[in-house]
Amino acid sequence: MELTVITVINALVLSSMYILVALGFAFLFNIMGILNFAHGAIYMVGGYICYQFAVEWGFNQWASLLLSVILVSAFGLFLEKYCFRPFFGNLNRTIVVCIAIIIILETTVNITVGTQVRSLPTFVPGILRAGIISLSAEKLVTLIIGGALLAVMIWFVTSTKLGQQMQAVSQALEGAALQGISIHRVSAVACALACGLATVAGCLMGAILSLSPFMGGRMLLKALELVILGGIGSMGGIFFAGLLIGTLDASLPLFISGAANEAIVLGIIVIVLLFRPQGFFGREAG
Amino acid sequence: MIEKRLSIRGRRKLTKPGVYVGMIVILSLIPLFIQSPYLIHIFILTFIYIIVTVSLRTITISGQLPLAHAAFMGIGAYTSSIVAKELGWPLWFAIPMGALVAAGFGILTGYLFARLRTLYYAMGSLFFGIGMVQVFLVFNRWTCAYQGLTGMPPLLSTVSKVPYYYFFLGLTLLCLLALYRFEFCRIGTTLKAINQSYLVASSVGINEARYRVLVLAVGCFFVGLAGAVYGHYVRALSYTSFDMLATLWLFMYALIGGIGSFAGPIIGTALLIIVPELFRELKEFVPYISAGILLIVVFVMPEGLVGLPQLMRSWITKLRE
Repeated sequence: MELTVITVINALVLSSMYILVALGFAFLFNIMGILNFAHGAIYMVGGYICYQFAVEWGFNQWASLLLSVILVSAFGLFLEKYCFRPFFGNLNRTIVVCIAIIIILETTVNITVGTQVRSLPTFVPGILRAGIISLSAEKLVTLIIGGALLAVMIWFVTSTKLGQQMQAVSQALEGAALQGISIHRVSAVACALACGLATVAGCLMGAILSLSPFMGGRMLLKALELVILGGIGSMGGIFFAGLLIGTLDASLPLFISGAANEAIVLGIIVIVLLFRPQGFFGREAG
Repeated sequence: MIEKRLSIRGRRKLTKPGVYVGMIVILSLIPLFIQSPYLIHIFILTFIYIIVTVSLRTITISGQLPLAHAAFMGIGAYTSSIVAKELGWPLWFAIPMGALVAAGFGILTGYLFARLRTLYYAMGSLFFGIGMVQVFLVFNRWTCAYQGLTGMPPLLSTVSKVPYYYFFLGLTLLCLLALYRFEFCRIGTTLKAINQSYLVASSVGINEARYRVLVLAVGCFFVGLAGAVYGHYVRALSYTSFDMLATLWLFMYALIGGIGSFAGPIIGTALLIIVPELFRELKEFVPYISAGILLIVVFVMPEGLVGLPQLMRSWITKLRE
């Protein structure tokens, strides 16, 4: 009973963090047509900036979360303007730029903070008890923040003017431009949002698990899995795939070792792709 | 005008083989001048990775983006090493075995992913590659993936690196010749047609799925071969040399040199492996050198390093004006 409840909570926490990262990745892919391989590195750097503020300089933890989100979003604006915009529509060259960004960010973290594993202090200490079930308050808060952010993102994309512009651009780039939508402004907003979301996920995961300069690779893989499994261009698909993969990642380690768990998840995705090459809710076959 | 162009082409026909022969002579003279075993080792690694990158490019001429290439190298390396170490098979049998097993996996993924195109193929193969690395980890009993696989028999029974150097130089030249012939024979032309439009290609009677499987088999055979000799040369295998980042690095080698031409991956590999080694004293700052090369090339040279001479010519004409 206790194990079941904890596994469910873990699954929801993991899913919400995966979806936060994958949503930003999908924004960049749908709007600008780039595979942002640097998204995992940005997630990692977000966590480390929060660590720098909160632990090294002694800021309030929530303030440092906010500061790191602002800083990394500004970095996202810079990336869009100087790294992605010159190569609009050229997949190969954006991949090269992304790899260069990964190297620069990882090396900078290695030099300044060091390669040893660090950890952010918990945002909300304490353990909640309800009957026989005890649960760390940290996970609950992470879940609430993740869920709230995702709700805000759904509201933003479906109801605000900017969000609808983003949808329009992802559906038909030229048509949207002809309607007077500024493509560059929309992609700048998308890039800043993507980096901000990845930073929130990085900080929260850094408090639950730990920080290491190479933790971005795994999250990047999860973002790719979610976007491809859910179907390119589908927001609901990302939520569905996120819940599925989060549940698998939280429940499979109860039965088997970590590497086998990862192999099974990837095997399931490959099998799904064999029967539905466009993912669960994809618009078109590739 | 036409005559002039013809004469230039004629001269080129003579100079090109001259350049190749000159480069081979220079490369075969290098061990006479460089005594440091470490530098020779770097050259040998460059040779191995040239085979890997060029075979990667051979697959891309059919329009597929294989993001599992390092994993195929791992399949070749682990197969050959484990067979030679655990079963005691001779190397001349174990190394082709590794290459053939890699080619077999290539054919398998080719048939499995025949329906996936461009980006979906890239992602499918990416997941396959990462899954393969996890499989190496699951079979830790044989692959020793966590602690590193050691104890496989050496390739040549010498301590000196110089015989290795000549062995790998010869092997690389052979593989390059084979891949070059493959690209510029009828099959290669068919593959380029499939890349341009698979619908048109299949409408004129080309069985495009079979050709795509064929090119995967060829590319994976050579990468498996490179992986197998790599394992017996380095004699210590770790799964991190075959994961997602390693595959992306192979792509960087090809893209920096210029993925559009045969010489591109060779130049890119040599540059990106040798130049960071020149700045070895900088220690932890070395990755910045690689990142700097990537950024300079991607911002200045759209075609990669291969397009540099043409770019310089256009700069010179601009300056004259």
